[in-house]
Amino acid sequence: MFVSKSMTRKVVTIAPGAGIFEAYEKMKQHKIRHLPVVDGDNRLLGIVTDRDVRSVMPYELFKDPDLQKSQSKSLADMRIVDIMTSAPTHISPSSTIQDALLLIEEKRIGALPVVDDDGRLKGIISVRDLLRAFTNVLGIGDPGTLLCILVEEKVGQLKRIVDAITEEGVSFGSVLVGRYWDEGKRAVFPYIRTQNVAHIKRKLTQMGFTLLEPMEWYLDQLPSDE
Amino acid sequence: MRRTGFLFDRRYLLHETGPYHPEVPDRLEAVYSGIKAGGLLRKLNQISASVAELKWIETVHDRSYIDRLNDACVAGKKVFDCPDNQICSDTYLTALLAVGGILDTIRMMMQGEIDNAFCAVRPPGHHAEHSEAMGFCYFNNIAIAARYLQIEWHIERVGIIDFDVHHGNGTQHLFEKDPTVFYYSIHQHPSFAYPGTGREFEYGTVDGYGFTKNSPVLPGQGDEEYKRLIQRDLEPAFESFAPEVILVSAGFDGHVDDDMSDICLSTPWYTWMMTRIRAMADRYSQGRLISVLEGGYSLARLPELACQHVEVLLDE
Repeated sequence: MFVSKSMTRKVVTIAPGAGIFEAYEKMKQHKIRHLPVVDGDNRLLGIVTDRDVRSVMPYELFKDPDLQKSQSKSLADMRIVDIMTSAPTHISPSSTIQDALLLIEEKRIGALPVVDDDGRLKGIISVRDLLRAFTNVLGIGDPGTLLCILVEEKVGQLKRIVDAITEEGVSFGSVLVGRYWDEGKRAVFPYIRTQNVAHIKRKLTQMGFTLLEPMEWYLDQLPSDE
Repeated sequence: MRRTGFLFDRRYLLHETGPYHPEVPDRLEAVYSGIKAGGLLRKLNQISASVAELKWIETVHDRSYIDRLNDACVAGKKVFDCPDNQICSDTYLTALLAVGGILDTIRMMMQGEIDNAFCAVRPPGHHAEHSEAMGFCYFNNIAIAARYLQIEWHIERVGIIDFDVHHGNGTQHLFEKDPTVFYYSIHQHPSFAYPGTGREFEYGTVDGYGFTKNSPVLPGQGDEEYKRLIQRDLEPAFESFAPEVILVSAGFDGHVDDDMSDICLSTPWYTWMMTRIRAMADRYSQGRLISVLEGGYSLARLPELACQHVEVLLDE
């Protein structure tokens, strides 16, 4: 679960002295939204996003790039160093993807440059990379069935569920636990690698667990902070 | 009234799946008893199975996978790849008989001996991938049927309709790059049901883009939502694709009394669905329609579901 395993290693970068149009073309060509700005020694100086570029380009230029030479002399003179975010939020290759997730959420940004102890750029980890990592963690790329089980909030409940399912020779894609359910309750979401769920549901019910109606599931019960 | 074939063979009961498994031989007994009780047997062209030639299985599956299944059965293994796939020494033979029977049935239809048919086979097929058994399925019966139609009978466009409550991942993956086979599936939403594929945004890939269509349905929904989606998604797609033959992956596990899903379909919905499919076959495919059993685990409901399914095909 380390950033170094989930990040993009071949980073498209740009020099501080490059022009705005070069950045625009690079992002368009590679279908990316973040360009780390590095010096000749691959040290991170800043980051420039497609939003930074768009905010200085007049709308007409998107429609007709030929205008750029004649009508946008000042824009052509503008350098990346003028519009980049200096000393951007970054992360270390040895940080975890949980660190990256929390940092991206806290800073409300789309990507983090990955920088080693010497300040050299090693990669970039974007929201997209994190989504891929967590899709993998959830196991939803593999066939299976998600259950939702309501349990009393006390030690040992998850073990009973895992044991009961394991006894049937069924393996797990993942197990999630909902943190805020009804008072004194938790919701356990095992993603189990079987189609034969009716038998397992019956077994869990006989053990005294409550299986929730699928339409009543909700993974995220944290109050919205919006 | 139409000349309807009914493929059934007692050797389909040989595939044993052990305790606590829903895909049991009694399912076929239930199907047969329902059709018999409805007084339909004498109206049907009864067909028994033959063993499929390996060359047809190989149109869809890797030869080493086919051999691996045979080896597991010969060795007396009880499980193949995953605990869902319970096998016995006769599973390989049963799977070959399922395919062989379906191909014979198709040949009879293409030679004009019958108009359409229901193939009551085990094991089911639509989860089986190129080289992987999944979800009680070993050989992908419907996919092999489509390839047989194309290779042996020079059918260019095959339309597959899969109304089993689970998405037919195997069938979709086998044809997702192929614009000559249209795969349509309506099933319980993959976030709530096995196998976790068949999302609304899966349309096929490369040359096959636009020749796969999925209608995921949320838990608790039933007849009305299914009817709405069939008319919104399936019927326009088949109107533009105009299949020359229609194959149906007929699963009855979306029935309200089937505990394998949270979908609440009634018995009349299945009759409605089959009537719509028959109408599409008349419109585009000269009535050529082969239905192949997939899931459906309610032993109490299978007799009536099978009986009404065949009644629609007979069209008296």
